[in-house]
Amino acid sequence: MKQKLINIADQLKGFQSVEDIQELLRVNRTRAIYLMYQLRKHGFVKTRRTSKGKRYYYIGFENAIGGTSYLETLNKYAPTPLGSFGTHKIYGKAISVEETLIYALKREDIRHIIALLALFKHIKDWSLLYNLAKKEGLVREVCALYDLARKVVKKVRKMPKRFKNLGTPKKNDKYKYIVDLFSSNDFKEIERKWRIYLPLNLRDVAEYRGFKT
Amino acid sequence: MIEIKEQENLFLQIARKLKTKVNCYAIGGTALMFLGLKAATLDIDLVFDKDLERRAFKEAAKLSGFNEMDSRIMYGKKENVPEVVKRSDSRIDMFLFKVINSTFSESMQKRSVNTHQFAENLFIRVADVHDILIMKSITGRLKDEEDIVRIISTSKVDWNIIIEEAKNQIELGNTIAILDLGATLEGINNKKLSEIPKSVLDELFGLFKQQAKTKVR
Repeated sequence: MKQKLINIADQLKGFQSVEDIQELLRVNRTRAIYLMYQLRKHGFVKTRRTSKGKRYYYIGFENAIGGTSYLETLNKYAPTPLGSFGTHKIYGKAISVEETLIYALKREDIRHIIALLALFKHIKDWSLLYNLAKKEGLVREVCALYDLARKVVKKVRKMPKRFKNLGTPKKNDKYKYIVDLFSSNDFKEIERKWRIYLPLNLRDVAEYRGFKT
Repeated sequence: MIEIKEQENLFLQIARKLKTKVNCYAIGGTALMFLGLKAATLDIDLVFDKDLERRAFKEAAKLSGFNEMDSRIMYGKKENVPEVVKRSDSRIDMFLFKVINSTFSESMQKRSVNTHQFAENLFIRVADVHDILIMKSITGRLKDEEDIVRIISTSKVDWNIIIEEAKNQIELGNTIAILDLGATLEGINNKKLSEIPKSVLDELFGLFKQQAKTKVR
């Protein structure tokens, strides 16, 4: 890539309209559009439209960064998209819903837990989910959250009986927290069944449309 | 020059040859590219904290067509030089814990919160902008000044982190790092390329004076 083009991208960083580009670079409209075409080819440009249909270009080197993140997959299904502290981008590998669910659970954050409930609706490979959960020692947590998802999210498919049997707490199993020191007042039954403290109450999951009381 | 897409493809090729998990930290231009602050870099700088992982990465790079290079050609007789591999225009410098005059400290590692995972086995954590600024200052190359100015103008620099890390580097025995850091920042300030708070420069100079006194005693 020509250094000149990089310098232009650097100069035009941020939101710009064609008129802004013309003014900043002192070029005519045709040249401005051609430059946008060149920058887009290198992945530096994302186009947005205003309500009136006017094009705005968001120019930045970060647009060229590829990969996908767990957060993007989670936000695809979550009722309220989450912001991020730090990113985990993945290249050369498709991210499955099952992996995303375990990732969100491991974050030990209430907003991530609320968001991951929506993922149960899209689980296709239950054995993959079981293996991932077992590897992280989170089988009981997944079972408890699944039961919660069945209560609050519409059209969640049935979990295989084998998964539930394998996740059933043994006599000596103690209660575990998903998020430290957070327990539920409204889902005591699920907590007792799996010996897992759920960090959510009814009000926390009200944003799911298919909410049933 | 290595561009963003080229860099991604290169890491992906190496990652696919790796047989074990490898963790490393991206510093310098590579980190700036991951952060979207730069479009191309001359070389890829990585810091490893385990020699075993560095060796595994080097082997995978060799399998991807890279050749080993004598690091003295690039770095001369400096201490803590990296192992270097090269393929046509792409060069990868692989440091082990220490980067020339500085140490990629535990606090720097903790601040590296952005992770880029390539295929199954390669995990690259991106150094924080503050730490990139410190390491770029310490190398004292003219082209790094541009990057420092870019960091200061585009990121919200918390100068307390810079000072705390400077103190940390002294504790780790990298006293020369303070001199380089202070000199580079003062140079940038004097050239009016960017404004560095006077209190920061004073504090860095104070730290250096303190060290000099201790050495004289």
